[in-house]
Amino acid sequence: MGPKRKIKSGHVGADSTRVDAPDKVRGRAVYTDDIDVPGCWYGKVVRSPVAHGRLRSLKRDEEFDWSRVSVVLPDDIPGKNIADLFIHDMPFIAHDEINYLGEPLALVAAPDRELAEEAARHFHPDIEELPGIFHMEEIVDLYKKQDSSLHSLGEQTTVKGDIEKGFSEADMIVTGEYWAGYQEQLYIEPQAMIAEMTDDGGVFIRGSLQCPYFINPELCLTLNLPPEKIRVKQEMTGGAFGGKEEYPTLIAGYCALLAMKSRHPVKIVFDRNEDILFTTKRHPSWGRLKTGLKKDGTITAIHAELLLNGGAYTTISRVVLARGILHAAMGYRCDNVFVDGRIFKTHTFPCGAFRGFGAPQATWAFESHIEELAKACGMLPQEFRRKNCLVQGDVTPTGMVLKDSVGSPAVLDQVLDRSDFAKKLKQSSRGNPKHKKWYGIGLAFFAHGSGFTGDGEARFKAKGAVELDWIEPNHPGVNIRISSTEMGQGAFTIMDQIAADAISIPLDDVRCPLPDTSLCPNSGPTVASRTTMVVGHTVHGAGLKLKAALEEFASKEVFEGRPVVLENGRFVCSGEALPFRQIAASYLDKHGRLRTEHQFTLPPDLKWDQSTFKGDAYPAFSWGCNAAEVEVDPLTFEIRLKKVTACFDVGRMINPLNCKAQAEGGLVQTIGYALMEKMGIRNGKYDADRMQTYIVPTMPDIPEFDITFVEYPYEFSPPGAKGIGEMPMDGLAPAIANAIENATGLRCNRIPIMPEDLFTLHRAKHQNG
Amino acid sequence: MSNVKRTWNVNGEEKTLEFPPLRRLLDVIREDMRFTGCKEGCGEGECGACTVLLDGVPVTSCLVAAGQVPDGTQILTVEGLEKTEQGRVLQEAYVSAGASQCGFCIPGMLMASFALLSKNSRPTEEDILDAHGGNICRCTGYVKIIEAVRLAAQNWPRK
Repeated sequence: MGPKRKIKSGHVGADSTRVDAPDKVRGRAVYTDDIDVPGCWYGKVVRSPVAHGRLRSLKRDEEFDWSRVSVVLPDDIPGKNIADLFIHDMPFIAHDEINYLGEPLALVAAPDRELAEEAARHFHPDIEELPGIFHMEEIVDLYKKQDSSLHSLGEQTTVKGDIEKGFSEADMIVTGEYWAGYQEQLYIEPQAMIAEMTDDGGVFIRGSLQCPYFINPELCLTLNLPPEKIRVKQEMTGGAFGGKEEYPTLIAGYCALLAMKSRHPVKIVFDRNEDILFTTKRHPSWGRLKTGLKKDGTITAIHAELLLNGGAYTTISRVVLARGILHAAMGYRCDNVFVDGRIFKTHTFPCGAFRGFGAPQATWAFESHIEELAKACGMLPQEFRRKNCLVQGDVTPTGMVLKDSVGSPAVLDQVLDRSDFAKKLKQSSRGNPKHKKWYGIGLAFFAHGSGFTGDGEARFKAKGAVELDWIEPNHPGVNIRISSTEMGQGAFTIMDQIAADAISIPLDDVRCPLPDTSLCPNSGPTVASRTTMVVGHTVHGAGLKLKAALEEFASKEVFEGRPVVLENGRFVCSGEALPFRQIAASYLDKHGRLRTEHQFTLPPDLKWDQSTFKGDAYPAFSWGCNAAEVEVDPLTFEIRLKKVTACFDVGRMINPLNCKAQAEGGLVQTIGYALMEKMGIRNGKYDADRMQTYIVPTMPDIPEFDITFVEYPYEFSPPGAKGIGEMPMDGLAPAIANAIENATGLRCNRIPIMPEDLFTLHRAKHQNG
Repeated sequence: MSNVKRTWNVNGEEKTLEFPPLRRLLDVIREDMRFTGCKEGCGEGECGACTVLLDGVPVTSCLVAAGQVPDGTQILTVEGLEKTEQGRVLQEAYVSAGASQCGFCIPGMLMASFALLSKNSRPTEEDILDAHGGNICRCTGYVKIIEAVRLAAQNWPRK
């Protein structure tokens, strides 16, 4: 007997253990590289050794035996040589201008990995090298000079009220600039994909991925195939965090092109170095804030600019920017707000999705700035936030009225109370030379939009299905059919709980298989903190429909037309009861599989103007507050994060254990973002390109946690959940910086914050003062 | 270099294999023996996903040349855990504590936990941190893994 799944009655709201855990702890979960595909070849990408240039020619060694391998060059692409990622500005294989180091020049496949790697070494590109732009500092410098040589990849503005009037009413104006660096997702399973041709001339793609319905249709243009000939299946995925959101279309395309050329299945699994160097990162950012304040702490105007380093091509950056600007001045009451966001091109790998998706950069800047505002008007940080935080009935920077499900100020009050914030703030060292260790506590308060921006969910029309079928021999049950993926976040466990509750059957009669575009409706990508709220709603709705259909069947076929209710796994009819499995089996024997589907809708009064970015920015906001306590060594400036007190409102918790797990994992990734994960660029190349040099938190690095939740359900969408996945990434970095300031008296406006940064600030302060 | 032949006890069963002496132990385990529970996360001994036990000692199998592992060595991979009562206790603790998320680091993490508890079934907090400091998990934030190890220690079968 192996480990057993714990089952509790009343599935939604219970700490159900994860459905995928038993296989994972036994080493039986099958990830992409574990699949043994007979006759599978191995693919390799031939990459540009320069970051910016013009490809003159790509020569190949004539003495190498090319008959043993398959090669794909731009001319071999059956469709257009375009990566259909949102904007058509990136070729699938470079043929003229090279825009980042490692841009593909050719693809090669061979019966084994060693031969594929050897073949790749026999290509010799001749490239005219051109000067490049790489760093956020270069972008900001040119931006401040309004230099027209900056290449924009997108921009968006949102305006509320009259910003000039707001500043004219202010008693004081506070400005600040805040920088954030790259962050690598560093999922432990590297990118992995397999493609093979199907008998009908199509391709079957499977691998480690977040969004099956991104790859199909995005590869149609390149492969010159209609959508029905591209089947995409997710395999067990060893972490993603956004890194397997839009990127897998590229590696899937490499495999598919090689499979079509070689007529063999083709697998590509990156090694860690290749994965870090040539996949997406979180966008480095720069935020500049200028805020008008009255002496009593009233905010009269907020002017926010947010710049992102987009990398070489647009890809998903405009969507990231949208979330960024919607969070750049979010959370506080102000009638006059101007937010402007821009993405600029550099000669680096395109930046992309990473948990939080623009919101962590925006919140880092804004919550650092809020601390400055409190100081400027002589208020304590908690008083300033308590006075200005948005509450029910208030209006957000885009003009959205917060009608319901507003966990503010509850999350703030809870953290202030549980962390004993006021008392600990007084104990903070502020660089007191008499203290042996500098202690400080810092605060951050924030909101995070759940689901797609604006009316995106209304336009998308996500669908989810459940189907009655034989889930094992002699075991009738329900399969959940959604395109949402399980990448570690626990989605399948939660979907099982929601479906089991809606249908009113035991958890063991429900399963959620890995999605496959040939079997699942399009419930959308697994992104944007939308899965539980949006897709969970479709599963709930589909479950209710299945329940009604089965009750009707039972009434007609078994109970002579009398009313029947399916509850807790039994069909009950005026005192009599029959087990779910018995009726389900007779349904399957008589009619075969039964599938019901449900579509997500939004309240009809939700209004959004995509051109002005005004209106209801999200279906709902989740709310969060973090307090960080740090200890800084006055000699070495070593920073120890001692304790994090966090409170979140994520609506109704479907699975509190899993909510906590999401919070813990996200907060620890943010410790890395704030204090450890430093990545620079030298000669066009990331300087931390291995696990030895890209340092993420390990077990001894974690602080004490106090994590709690307050539940303000999103009543419009049963079962009432809002988003959780991204929000833990938003607030801890500014909370840590604010704590470090209270400990040391030094304000850091750049993350990650390293001891050497504190030393530099310390010297500058004492030299000048 | 010509192949070498080794006979090991792998997960309780005797296995004889031939391979080039410098072949990574990780590849022998995953590809030759098809114990694919053992994972490669970095290939340079940093992430710990490929951790296996050689005579009870945790090693990152991506950094071991298989030819260096002598005849008679007891090799334990994640697949061997459920064959022992202690292994099952550990697995159950990971499941009920919610310690596994994406699961990719978990085989290595479990081997680190198993090595610790086999030697020291009443570990202190510091013992736990030390024993798992070489295993990177990007999902859990480690909190529930620590809880799982504590829970397994409570339930550890003692003779």
